[in-house]
Formats: sequence, C-alpha cells, structure tokens
Amino acid sequence: MRKKEKKGFWIQIVFIALMLVVWETAARLRLFGPRSEIIFPPLEAIGRAFVLNFAKGYGGVSLWRYIGNSMKLLGEGLLIGIILALILSGACMVSVSFRRIYSLVIAVMDLLPGVAMLPVVIIIFGISPGVIVFLVVHSVLWPMSRNVLDGFLAVPRIYVEAGKNIGLRGISLLLGVYLPASVTYVISGLKVGWARAWRGLISAEMIFGIASCPGIGLYINQMRVNLNNAEMYATLLVIIIIGLIVQYGILVPIENRTVKKWGMSR
Amino acid sequence: MTEKQNCILRIDNLIKIFDDAETEDTILKGLNLTVQRGEFMCILGPSGCGKTTFLRCIAGFEEFDGQIYVDGHKCSVPGTDRIMVFQDFNQLFPWKTVEQNIQYPLKLQGLRDKDELRRISEESLIKVKLQGYERYYPHQLSGGMKQRVAIAKALALKPALILMDEPFAALDAMTRSELQEEVLRISEQEGSTVIFVTHNIEEAITLGTRILVFQKGGQVVFDEKNPIKRPVTPLAENYGAIWEKLHRALHSEDGG
Amino acid sequence: MNKMSAGLLGLSLLMCIGGCGIRNQNTVSNEQKSLNIAYQYGLAYTPAIVAKEKGLIEEAYKEATGKEVSVTWIQMNSGADINTGIASGDLNVGFMGAAPAITGVVKDVGYKVFTNLSGQEHSLMTNEDDVRSLKDLVGSSHQIALVNIGSIQHIILAKALSESGLDPHALDSNIVAMKHPDGMAALETGNIACHLTSSPYTYMERSSGSFYELDEVSKAWSADDSFIVGVAATSLYEEDPELYKALCDGIRTAMEYMDTHMGEVAEMTCELDGNTKEDELKYLESGSYTAETNSLFELARFMSDAGFIDTMPDSYEDLVFDNVLGD
Repeated sequence: MRKKEKKGFWIQIVFIALMLVVWETAARLRLFGPRSEIIFPPLEAIGRAFVLNFAKGYGGVSLWRYIGNSMKLLGEGLLIGIILALILSGACMVSVSFRRIYSLVIAVMDLLPGVAMLPVVIIIFGISPGVIVFLVVHSVLWPMSRNVLDGFLAVPRIYVEAGKNIGLRGISLLLGVYLPASVTYVISGLKVGWARAWRGLISAEMIFGIASCPGIGLYINQMRVNLNNAEMYATLLVIIIIGLIVQYGILVPIENRTVKKWGMSR
Repeated sequence: MTEKQNCILRIDNLIKIFDDAETEDTILKGLNLTVQRGEFMCILGPSGCGKTTFLRCIAGFEEFDGQIYVDGHKCSVPGTDRIMVFQDFNQLFPWKTVEQNIQYPLKLQGLRDKDELRRISEESLIKVKLQGYERYYPHQLSGGMKQRVAIAKALALKPALILMDEPFAALDAMTRSELQEEVLRISEQEGSTVIFVTHNIEEAITLGTRILVFQKGGQVVFDEKNPIKRPVTPLAENYGAIWEKLHRALHSEDGG
Repeated sequence: MNKMSAGLLGLSLLMCIGGCGIRNQNTVSNEQKSLNIAYQYGLAYTPAIVAKEKGLIEEAYKEATGKEVSVTWIQMNSGADINTGIASGDLNVGFMGAAPAITGVVKDVGYKVFTNLSGQEHSLMTNEDDVRSLKDLVGSSHQIALVNIGSIQHIILAKALSESGLDPHALDSNIVAMKHPDGMAALETGNIACHLTSSPYTYMERSSGSFYELDEVSKAWSADDSFIVGVAATSLYEEDPELYKALCDGIRTAMEYMDTHMGEVAEMTCELDGNTKEDELKYLESGSYTAETNSLFELARFMSDAGFIDTMPDSYEDLVFDNVLGD
C-alpha cells in the first residue's frame, strides 16, 4: 500500500516535470507566432514574474493584498453558503413540500452561471464587495445543498431509529444523526462547492473589478490589459497553489479526521 | 395487587395496518398481552407473523391503534425507557467511539459529570466483557463485539424494557452461543426485563423464562413459562418435549 | 499497462507540439490571400463595419491587383484579446482603443497603427448633488464606473485629473470596472455615484437630464482626439504592401462613404447597436471619423508619464506606419 502510494507520487512528479519540459520547449522554439515570447513566455520569465508579483505588484500594490482581499470575500461567501446549505437542507427533512420546492430551486439555480446574473445582483446589492460574496455563495450553495440533501436522504433508517430511541428529536436529531451520518456527502459537497466558488470568485473579479477592494481576478485582468503575460501566468500559478493548499491542507485533513477515521468511505 | 405492580408492560388491543396506496396489510389484529417485571420473554414465529412489527410498536417506531403502557405510562413515541437492540451490526454511530456511543444517550439525559459518565460506560463494558475497547471506533470491531456494545449501551441507560430483535441472527454459531450466555448472565444479574424476538427454537428455550409463538396477524398460539431450569442444555429434562411443542406451534399453520 | 500509459502521454505531447507548429503556417504561403481582422462592438467601430458589410477591402485589392482576397472579420471583446491574437499571428489587423494599441506597440507585439478610426465624445456623469468637480471626488468613497481598469476611459480620467492639477491616480481606488450599459443602469438606479462613458451612452445620459456632467473629462479628451485606431501586423506591412494598401484604402473609402451616405449607414448599423434610425444618425454625426490621428503621441506621452506604460515611444513615427498622417 505504502509502496504503491510512493510510486503514484513519483509518477505525478515525473508528469509535472514532463509538462514543464514541454512548456519550455514550446517557449524556446517560439511555436506561438511571431511574438511568441510575449504570449508564451519561458519558465524563467514566469518565475521572475512570480517573485515580482509579490515584491513589486502592480501600481505599488503587492499581489499579497489582492490575495488577502480575495480570500476574505471567499471565506465570507463559503461560510454563508455552507451554513445556508445546512439550514435549508435540514428544513427539507422537516417538510416534504419544502423539499419538493427546494429541489426544484437547486436544479434551476445550479444551472445559472453566477456571472450571468451580475446585472441583477448589482441592482440588489449595489456596487460593493457584497456582490462578489453573493456570487461565491451562489456557487457553493447549490452543489452543497444537493449533496447535503442527498446525504440526509441516504441516512440509514437504523441510525435515525437508534437516535430517536435515545431521545433525539427535531434539530438535535438533525445535528446528532443526520449531519454526522452524511459526512461523506457533506465533504464531497464541500469539494465541489469550494472549487466552484474559487473559480466563480476569480471570474467575477475579472468582470466586475472593484478597485477599492482589488482581488486576484482584477490583478490578472490588469496584467492581461498591460500585456504582462508572464505575470499573468505567474498569477495563475498562485491560484493553483492556493487551490492545492486548500485541498491538501484543509479538505484532506478534514476527510482523514472524519470519513477515514470513522470507516465511512463510500 | 402484587400482580398489577409487577406488570411492566400492558398491551391492549394492538392493531397495526400497513397501508400503501394499493394494498392494505393487517399485521397485528388486536393483540393483548402483559409482561411481568424481570421476565425474559422470547417470541418465536415464522417470518411475516408480525413479531418484529410488534417490537417496533413497543419501541415507538411505528404508528398503531390500541394502547401500550410501560410502567403504567401510555407510550406512542420512542423513549429511553425502552431500548432496542437491532439485528443490524450498524446500529452504533460510526462517528463515535465505543465509549462515546454509550455515554452519548446519558449526556442527552442531562448527565454531565465526566467521572460518572466514565464510570457507567466502563461498568457496562465490563458487563459485556469489552473493557479496554473504549476508544475503538465501531468499524474496528467485529460483528459480535458491535452487538456487545449495543447491549452495553442499552444496559447503561437502565431502561424498563430491553427490546431485542434477533440480535444474534447474523452471527456465527460460536459467537452466538457465547453472546447468549452473556445475555443470560447479565439479565439474571441485573434483573432486566427483556423481550427477545427470534426464529430459533433453541435460542428461545435457552434464554426465555417465558416463550410465545406468534402466527400470522400477531395471533399468540403459544404462551407458557419455560419449565426448564437454567442453565439450559439440550440434555436437560423436558428439553425434547418443549422443543417438540414449540415446533408444532410454529408449524401449526401448515398443518391446519 | 504502464508502457501503454507512457505511450499515450508521449503521443498526446507530440500532437500538442505538432498542432502548434502546423497552425502558424497558413498565414504565410497560400494560393488565395487571406486577411483576418478583429473588430469590436459599438458605434465607434462604424467605418470598419461599413468596410465589412460593403466588402470595401476586397474591392480595393481587386482594383489594384486584379486578384481576390478573402477577409475574415472576427468580433472580439477587448483590445487585450486582439493583442494576443496579433502576437500569435492568428490576426493580421485589429481595431481597438488607442490606449491598448499604444501598450501593444510599446510591448512590441509586432504591429503599428495604420489608421485612425474614430473619435467620440466622453463624459463623466454623476447623480450626487455634492459632486461638482473632480476635486470633490478625490478622497471620497464615491465610486466611478468605467469599462475597465487600464482602458482609454481610465486614462482619460487620469488625464483630466492631471490637467486639474491633481494626482492622475488619485481616483484609482474609486474605480469599478463595468460594461457601458451596466454602468449606465447603475448610475440610473443610484448604485453608483459616477459613470465615465463614451458615445452613445454619453448622449443617453445627457438626454435623461437627471445627472450632472463633470466637464473636466469631456475637455480632457474630445471627439476630435483619437479614440479608436486600426493596427496592422508589421509583417503584413513589410511582406504584402499591396494588401496593406488595400486595407488602408478600404477603410478610407468607408469613411468617405459615411460622409456622403450617413443616412444609409445609420440604417445599416442601427439594428446592430439597438437604436432607432434617427438616434443612430444623431450619434454617428456627433462622432468624428477620419483616418488622421489626433493627439495620439500626446496620449502615449501621458501614459508613460503617469506610469500606465513602462517605456516611452521615441517619436510619433514609432507608433504609426509612414502612411499615417496626424500627431
């Protein structure tokens, strides 16, 4: 088992190295047109831009501040989205009519790309970072609700009965049995929801840039407008790194401490 | 008078009808029964006779017509005075350790003292011979061990009634007889009142102080005290005779 | 199993590289000449749209050489996208705001300006009673909607600030990037305090009568100053002067056509822009459509001074091909 994991790890490393070689070769051979170096910079330029993003930034503002703003809005949105998903899915277990309605709402809303709703959202929320928070909530709420609801509905009857038997009712039953029993669903909802929220946040920031609360998406846009493509790729790298940190630094440990520890993997 | 005080469970005209849109199935048609404190009542019956439904009605998991009184109180919803031990090994919460599974219901009842909680869980684990497994998660235990924890969890609550729904049916023969001995010993030591549903005649004779046989519709076709003195072995006097009787009662439907 | 996956990986990499290589060959040697032109949406691009609809570039080329050229028009969303397209060699020609064009020249994307396309009126409108000049905005939390950070509208704002004796970046953190119609809607609903926009939105907002115009902006950059320009790849200019000339002639013919047939042009474009014919005609007549640039070098110098670009072009001739007149 250990050995296999180690081997898988090395295969991934080799793959990444290979992709970097391909990138560098394509950049050095200037495969992308007459001004290939502008739109497809070599790794060294991207590396330098990576450092410059943090050291110098744009207009005297380091990328750190952009990241900070984005993460703050993301955190707020995720928190609201997750709590709302739990409350609304919980309400579905109380009322069948509500469940019918909410399932429909999930099915409909999940199809709508957040950025397409920007004009409406702006009318409701005004021009404020609240719009971005709303879009993060929108991207996390529906997949999370769908998963949590599926999880609640799939809770084995025996847990529910055992819970009722020891005196759990209503909300205490929801928190004491339904929620922990559907933890696998909740976590997969978190994974999907987080990834969508992260992407949604950046695309929203790229379209709707608030200069007083500049985020990573705005930074990418500025780099793009100024044809600083190396800086832009370096920022994409930052996005990937943050994504990986969340995945392996937060989600995987949560999974290890719950699903894996409790022997509940699906 | 003493008879009435000793009565821990009284069932008056219990009727249970399952009705889906298409079919209407009467599982229990007007069942009357009383159980005395300290009795170990085994219920035998062919599948579909309503013995499990009967138990679930007492536990409060089903809606029903008629009255069920436990210790003189009318019951219709689940309560900690009647704890169910299911056949399914997965009745423990997998997200709680053995100890937490036992302590959780006590905490829900308002017991907050940590030392007291630990004392009770340790004590009940000793009763089922599982001391040392406090910190294990259910998925790390075998089926037999899980059933022991479920029993320990029931004991810790000191319920008026322990309801057991074929708890050993899915165990291998050796583990089953081991657990039967444990349950017998514990019930004698604790003086618990147990209603034990099984389809196994030997199990009923081994455990029961009183044995019932159900037929279709929850009809009680046999209800007698177990004449054999404990510990029961197949070599005991009357064993063959009582086995014969139960066997006939069980298959009376086929004969008639 | 492992060999197979390694093989698959190798194969896909090869296809990747091979694909890139092949893609770039079609522009150089071809039996029939082709020209890929990117334009954007809106009133300011009307000469390009006239040339497209009437096939004026094809016509000019045929007249001069007797040969056919196939022109592909691609509508794109921003100057940044067009810059990338030209750098990759997929596009030969693009129409974009003067600011991204200057950025592209300075960054050596490989093009220069081959014509001016239009100048339009720009305006900064506010719905706040206490805002009567740019000074009132500096240091306030009032937000200003404009189409994008680093866009020509952003630079016009900086220029207006600078001409009022203020820091050109004093209002940078008040900016909210929004598309023109969204910005107008936000101004109307009061979701935003100010909107810096260009024709025709300028007229729509003026005619509503409920906003106050801060005229520092309209003075800083007028309809006579270059707003939209056309850029052409240096390779086109050097390697195919005939086609390059046909391109310039086609656009000039389009502008002449607009001068003489404005009503007809309005009819052609009003539907595209979603205006009535009368409005479209009014908007078109307020713009300036000439091939001569105006204040382009001044704009470049300002962008460099204010730090929007890192390097300063040495002269006007660095920005434009030698056939272009103006300053």
